[in-house]
Order: sequence, then C-alpha cells, then structure tokens
Amino acid sequence: MSNLDKEAIHNLIKLSRIECSEEEQARLLKDLEKILVYIEQLQEVDTANVSPCNQVLEGACNVMREDEVRDIMPRELFLSNAPSQVGGMIRVPPVIKSN
Amino acid sequence: MNHPTQWEAVIGLEIHAELNTKSKLFSSAPNRFGDEPNTNINDVCTGQPGALPVLNKEAVRKAVQFGCAINAQIAKFSKFDRKSYFYPDSPRNFQITQFDEPIVLGGSVVAEVDGQEKVFAVNRVHLEDDAGMLKHFPTFAGVDYNRAGVPLIEIVSEPCIHSAREAAAYGMAIKAILQYIDASDCNMEEGSLRIDANVSVRVKGEKGLRNKIEIKNMNSFSNMELAIDAEIKRQIHEYTNHASRPQHEIISQATYRWDPEKKETVLMRRKEQADDYRYFPEPDLVPIILTDAYIEGIRSSLPELPLQRERRYVSELALPAHSAFAITLDKKIADYFEEALKLCSNARALCNWILVEFAGRLKDTGKTLIDSGIPASHLAKLVAMIDKGTITGRIAKDVADDMMAAPGKDPEQIVAANPDYQPVHDQGEIEVLVDKVLAENMQSVVDFKAGRDKAFAFLVGQVMKLSRGKASPQIVNDLLNQKISSL
Amino acid sequence: MHSLSAIEIRDKFLRGEISAVTIVETFLKRIEKYDHEVGAFLAVFNERAIQQAKKLDEKRKAGHKLGKLAGVPIAIKDNIHVKGELSTCASKFLTNYRAPFDATVTRLLEAEDAIIIGKTNLDEFAMGSSTENSALQKTRNPWNLKCTPGGSSGGSAAAVAARFCPLAFGSDTGGSVRLPASFCGIVGYKPTYGRVSRYGLVAFGSSLDQIGPFATTTADAALLMEVVGRHCEHDSTSLDAPQEDYLSSFNGDIKGMRIGVPWQFLEQLAEEPKQVFSAALEKLKSLGAEIVDVDLSILKYSIAVYYILATAEASTNLARFDGIRYGQRSARAKTLDEVYDFSKEEGYGPEVKRRILLGTYVLSAGYKDSYYKKAQQVRTLTIQQFKGIFQKCDLVALPTSPFTAFEIGAIKDPLQLYLEDIYTIAANLAGLPAVSIPEGFSRDGKPLGMQLIGPQKQDVRVLKAANAFEKVTDYHKALPELAK
Repeated sequence: MSNLDKEAIHNLIKLSRIECSEEEQARLLKDLEKILVYIEQLQEVDTANVSPCNQVLEGACNVMREDEVRDIMPRELFLSNAPSQVGGMIRVPPVIKSN
Repeated sequence: MNHPTQWEAVIGLEIHAELNTKSKLFSSAPNRFGDEPNTNINDVCTGQPGALPVLNKEAVRKAVQFGCAINAQIAKFSKFDRKSYFYPDSPRNFQITQFDEPIVLGGSVVAEVDGQEKVFAVNRVHLEDDAGMLKHFPTFAGVDYNRAGVPLIEIVSEPCIHSAREAAAYGMAIKAILQYIDASDCNMEEGSLRIDANVSVRVKGEKGLRNKIEIKNMNSFSNMELAIDAEIKRQIHEYTNHASRPQHEIISQATYRWDPEKKETVLMRRKEQADDYRYFPEPDLVPIILTDAYIEGIRSSLPELPLQRERRYVSELALPAHSAFAITLDKKIADYFEEALKLCSNARALCNWILVEFAGRLKDTGKTLIDSGIPASHLAKLVAMIDKGTITGRIAKDVADDMMAAPGKDPEQIVAANPDYQPVHDQGEIEVLVDKVLAENMQSVVDFKAGRDKAFAFLVGQVMKLSRGKASPQIVNDLLNQKISSL
Repeated sequence: MHSLSAIEIRDKFLRGEISAVTIVETFLKRIEKYDHEVGAFLAVFNERAIQQAKKLDEKRKAGHKLGKLAGVPIAIKDNIHVKGELSTCASKFLTNYRAPFDATVTRLLEAEDAIIIGKTNLDEFAMGSSTENSALQKTRNPWNLKCTPGGSSGGSAAAVAARFCPLAFGSDTGGSVRLPASFCGIVGYKPTYGRVSRYGLVAFGSSLDQIGPFATTTADAALLMEVVGRHCEHDSTSLDAPQEDYLSSFNGDIKGMRIGVPWQFLEQLAEEPKQVFSAALEKLKSLGAEIVDVDLSILKYSIAVYYILATAEASTNLARFDGIRYGQRSARAKTLDEVYDFSKEEGYGPEVKRRILLGTYVLSAGYKDSYYKKAQQVRTLTIQQFKGIFQKCDLVALPTSPFTAFEIGAIKDPLQLYLEDIYTIAANLAGLPAVSIPEGFSRDGKPLGMQLIGPQKQDVRVLKAANAFEKVTDYHKALPELAK
C-alpha cells in the first residue's frame, strides 16, 4: 500500500521544486496512486540474497582519464544560453546567506 | 537532576580539502583559483544537458595517497553516488559523491596537544566534486562555476575530539599531511581547506551523545578554536540554565556560523528533519577497483610525512620533541629550516630563531618567513655569526630587526656596516665595566657566593647593559668569575 | 530517388550520377511538401544542409577521400546535440537552448560526410510512447495520419517512413526506437548498452538510454552502426570493445540458429498480431532456424521495474533544468525559490512532472528500499534469466508491440500508455541489443514489427538475423501513400 496522500504529494513537490496548482496536485495524486498500485506487484518477487544491479555491463570498472586540461568552454558560449547574466556570472535573485 | 559540574565536549570535524590536480574531478576543465568568473569551465562542470562525468585518475591517486598517509584501509571496491539538493552553485542540482562505499576507511592522525602526543581516529575519507561560488550583492547574486567540479576529499573524524585545542591540533595535523604529500594547497583563506565542526556536550560518564550543532565558516585555526570554545560554553550554559527541560529540546540540531567580528556563533538554520538527499548509485560512472599492487605502490612511494620528519629531527638533530613538532607543522617552514641547516649546523638555535624570534617579529605583518623575503641562507649566517662569537646574542636581535626592515639584506653586511654591532673583545675595556658593576653590586656578589646562581646572571646582564650588548659574553663570564673568586 | 536506400544514394553520389546538392534539394522539397501533414521535423536545416552538400560536391570533384555516408541526408532526434542548433527535447523549457557541443554521434556522422537535414519531434524529454507528449507539435504516422507514429522517437521514425530522408537517429530507453519503427514499418535498432556513446544525448534514464538508428533496410542500419558503434572517451559507460564489421557478415545464412520465443508471456497477445508474428517465425524456420520455447516469466515485471528505475534516474537527470544557467526562466519569478518552482511549473508538461514526482518518491527516505532497491534486484533477476535463456538459444524473438499504431488521443490513461512498452523494456533493463523489423501489416493496413534480441555485445548476430529475414520478405519495401 502506498503512503501517498495530499501531504506526501506536497512534500514531493517541495523536494522536486516543481510548483503545481491545487487541481494539478489532485490529478497527480490520482495518477501516481494508480501507478504505485501497479508497481506494488514487485513485492511478490523473491529477491532474498539478490544483489541490486548497479551496472548493466558486468565487470566494467576503472574508467578514468589522465589529469590534463582539455575541453574548455569559452565564457561567451556558456553565457549565450543564460537567461540572465552580470559581470561574467550567471545572475539570480538575491540569496539569503546560508550554506 | 542535580547540577553536575563535570561536562565533556564531544567534537567531530569534517574537513574538505581541494585536491591540487590540474583538471577537475569529472570535468577536464582547469582546476585553478582566482581567475575571471566562468573562465575555467566546460559542459560537464556547468551541468549542460548531454554532458557526462569522466573520473580523473590523479584525484584517485591523491585520495589513496592520503589514505596511506593516515594508515587507513584503502577500499578495494568503491563507487560514486548522486546526492540531490537544489542550489544555484550546483550545476546539476546533484553532487557526485561517495555515500556508502568510500575509497578510504578508518585511519588515524597523531597530533601534539599541550605538549602531549595524542592519537585521533578518522572515520572515513571520500571523493566528491565541489560546488561553484555564489557572490552576494544587494539586489542580486552572481554565480561563478570556476570552482564547480573541483576534486574534494572529505575527511571525517570520529567524534573523538574533546576540546577546541584538540580540534585545532587535529586540524593542523591533517593539514600538514596534505601539505607533505602535496595533495592540496591547504589555504583556508582561499577555501582550499574548509572545516566544519560538529559540537555537542554531555556529562562526563554519560553514555550516548546529545544533539549536536554544526559550525561552519571558520576560516582559520585560531577562529576555529574560538568558535568551538564559544559553542561549548554556550551549550553548557543552556543545559545548566534549563535543567528542568528535556535534553533534546534545550539544544536541537542546527547549523551555526562563526561571526569573527561579534566573536560568537550565530544561528544559520535549524535542522528539524534530516535533509533527504535521496542518495543512489551514479549510473554514469563505473566503480573503482584497486589492486594490492596499486595500493602498495602508492604506500611505498609516500614522501616523508610530518610525524616521520619530526621523529627524525628528534633523533638526528637532538631537537626537543616540542620544537620538532612545531617546526614540522608547516612543510614550507621545515624545508626552510633544512635549507638553513645546510649552512649552519646549530639546529636548536635555528629552530628558536624561526619559531620564536622571527615568528614574533612577523606576527602582525600577516607574512611568514617564507614570503618575508629573508632567505634561509641569511638566517643560517645570523646564527653562525652568533656561534662564532662575531656578534653577541643581544646584538643579533638588533640585526634581526634590521633584516626584517630590509629583507634580502645579508646579515654579514649589516653587521660589517654598523660599528655598533661590532662586539668588544678588548679585555681591558670590558674589565673596566666589570669592575664598575662589581663595585656597585656587592650584594649580588654576596648572594652568588652564598649559592644563588641567579645573581651571577644578573651581574652578567649588568655588564652587557653597560656595554650596550657589545661585550663578548665569554670574556665577561671569564672576567667576572676571575674577579669574584678573588673577592 | 527518395525511396532508395541510404547505401544506394551514397553509391550513386560516389559514382557521380547525382550531386549532393540535388540529393539534399530533393529531400528538402519532399519535407516542404508533406511535413505539414506529418509533423516529423521541429527544425529543418535548409541552409546548413545545402552548404554542406555544396562542400561535399567540391570535395568529390577535387578527388578527396569521401566518407561512408557521403551525400546521405540524416535526421536527428531533438534530444541529441548538433552544436549551434537548438536542442529543444520537445519541451517548453528548452525552446531557446542551443547545443554548445556536438554529440559524439553527430561528430562521427559528419566525419563520414553524412548531411544532417534537421531535428525531429519526440515525446518531451523522451518520456512517452506516442510522441503525443511533445510540447511543441503533433507528429502523425505516415501510414495513417490519424494515428501516432509511436514514441518517444516518433519524429525520426515518421521522417524515414515518409521518405523525408533515408536515415535517422533516435534514442531508446524503454523501446523508444523499436516501438516507433514497428508502428511506422521500418527498421529500428537499439544497440547493446554502451555500444554507442551517450555523450550529447540529453539524459533520461542513464543506465537504460542508447542512441539507435532508423533505416528502411537492415544494411543501412548496419552501416550506421559501423559509423557510430565505437568507444567514446567522453562517456564512462561506453563499451571498451573494438569497432565491429556488420555488413560483411550479411550472407543471409542463419541455418541452425536457435530462436527462443517466450510463448507463455505472449498468451495475452490478440489474434491478429499473434498470427502475423507466427507467420514471421515460419519464415525464420524456412531459413533453417530452430524455434525454441523459452521461459521469460520475469518479463511481466519489466514495466514496474522500469518505471521505478527510469523515473528515479530521470528525476535527478532533469533536476538541472531550473532556469538558472540555461533554458526558459519564468518571467514571473522574483525570488530564487520562484525561479526554481515557476520555471519548472511552466517548463514541464504533465507527463514529465508525473515521472519526476514518481522518481523522487521512489528514492525518498523510507521508500528507497521497497521501491528503488527492490527494482534493482528484480533487474538483476531479469539479467540472470536472460543469461540462462541464452544458454539454450542464440536470439529471442517476440513482437515489438502488442498492437499497431493507435489513434492520436485514443489513450489518455498514463498507465495504459506505459503498458505498451511491455515487450521492449526488458532489452533496456538487461542492456541487450534488440532490433525491430517489419513483419507484416494488420488488416487495416498498419505495420507490425518483430523484435529480435541478442545477448550483450552480439549486435552483429542480431542484425545479421534481421537481414536474413529481410532478404526473404518484402514488407520493408512497402511505402505509405505519401511516399509513393
């Protein structure tokens, strides 16, 4: 049984940073509940002692590169897609000093 | 509960050190500090869609090197994970870090605290990428991604530190190791070394830990000591004044930052719930699998570490343990010392001039001997002159002041150029002074003959004063002894 | 000329029978004439393609060495970067985003003198099975303009089916190349995971995504694989294996090849697709292949596993779209929080929002073990079951889709749309090479596709078998009305 309710949706929206109207939240709740019920069937699979698959290509490991400077993106190219910039930096609304 | 008087602080430190590789951890953009904003970037470290991380092998090597240097266990298998959180300085809104399978486990560090050697345990060390920098202005903020993607190792101590003094000692010992293996610039002002402290207190003998406070923004070891001390006092004060309330309500988890002006810790944010970072294995990367041969190769080629150098100074140079510890704390200073040793073998004197005399003179300039402009060879010459008797110890202090005022000026030339610095060896001249002092201080002569050695030193001092420091101490000693014994 | 294969067009160009400019102009004219009905393209590179064609003609005149794809126009799904051009991912979020670098596949294609003719429509951020989730336009199936072309690479599939170009690239995370290929009656191929570089593909499900070719013949698809199936140093999951030679093994001989069919799993399949599929199997038998019954019972959990893992990965892959560094930043955002919240609210369509929330949920504290970890474990079981099957057979065959192209707007329930991927998802979970080839038509004239799936790294075997089937059938030669 999923633990999805209005509050849970609200928390998910906060975690994902997607703003949603009340109606949209209600719709999403319905959709997600349905999907979660469907997904519930996984619980019937016996996975005792089965290790989670963290990689598809077995044995792949140690892919590394030399410590060399290679691709540098010119600043104008980077900023050409920026919604707002100032002094060579990406501009955002003022931030309360935390972190 | 009755008011207990024995409180104990429990401190854990999380140290982030930027590795001084040429390129970033997962991006091949340059790893450099201080350049124009957004000039050391590429698609990976600015989180462009379609960009993919590729691990820097030198960052792995430095992490393993550090692990070996603290005698930790190097994980044969480690992997990366995504840690999700939203902030403008994060190019992808997730950091790539190592959550449950870090590259280094355990380890320990030896540090001297108040003259005693203590062993501090490390819990783990892992690799992760740094965030960019947010620059704050009144009506906006600017984001610079030069630092985004720089390789970090995060060094997490066990909560085995029990005072601010210990915390500083541990921190300095970690910094020294990083410096000696050349893994990081370790510059706290520039941010290549950052320390967060987790502080809680409890009654001595109490089992379990109470709520902890995280302190950030401590940009020097001295500020860190002040901050931790202040926080410990604050917590004890809170517990003491609200003894009737349940413990977990008096101090609840929160993050504080150190305000260097107010000299106190200031609340940044409360942590009602643990942040949900939703860690899961990074699908764009493959695991790191290290062989015994690789690890052994790194361990066996470690350069001399601070503790080893300290021990060497004690055994080979007969330096007292405390001086050896202090002079090896900063590799550049230790190297400077060894440079001077090539020209002058009086290790103890060199040490004293570095750690006490010049350190004192440099204190308010914000510089160290390294960037003072005074080369090691000059220090060596100064000490050599004292040892030869060319100048007295008293005069040497004046010469040192002159060296500070005109860095780069050869002390031998300073002495040659100043007649006041020429010591007086003329027995006759000194004898006159000795006689005068003896005549004016008969009580001291009596005291000395009665067994008070200090009185002799006093008499020597008086002669030196009269000669304005120029009399040869050897001659003064001999003459005084001679004359007193015939009195 | 437009119904010729890519290899035929290239050879004509190399022989000097036709200029690159003529080739490009022919296809651009077709696009101009018919694409307003189909809606395959989001952007057509009129000038760029002609310029490249001109240069190529000069190159040939000067006697320079020419690439394997010389003169061949190719369309690219709009979630794969072509430097300097828009990569919208069919999302309102990225309508102004110009790719700052070329995808590896783009670079490889242009190095072989292919001419990129435009970017094609898709489900927003590749999330969908019908291309109906595109925030920018609808794409219609050239075989029946009332129907979807399948998704998420519907634009690329429609472009090839309508003969707007002989080749195209799409991306396949749960069937997004194979399903549209099946709906549009063409060849669609998903390589072994890691065989083709993901550098420059806007990530959806990182451990599942592969870029794959659309073509009208298996030889054309194989040619594309020869060009792009290489190790890439910008992609840490790229297979470190030498380039493979496909075309030289296309001798049509599959005698003795054991082909596993999971009959039990296909029980629910409707009469018509079952018949067409069985007939296709008979064709394989007539070539000397042996049909073997295999047990792939774990496949019934594929969709559940997929919708946990793909959404979990996607929720983090898409987190970067926040209106801060690129993309559309909400005009009504005044504070930093609003930049995030409103930009995402305005930028994302409903399916994307659904999947991001689901993905966030399955990773969140308290649920991660029962969802994410569980799904990873069942994924391991899926891989293991396939490994076991491949001891008994060389390839697995099953239909690409339980049905043919459905009408646009016919399926509104998201879960029902998810269930369309039931036959395709497993190959992504296990990283297996899988092709969809035309196997026939329904009574109402819509194409049906058959899938052949091989063990990891057996890409050549899969395409060789597909080619053998193609040699003895004509389905791939059929043309929709507007391509005749």
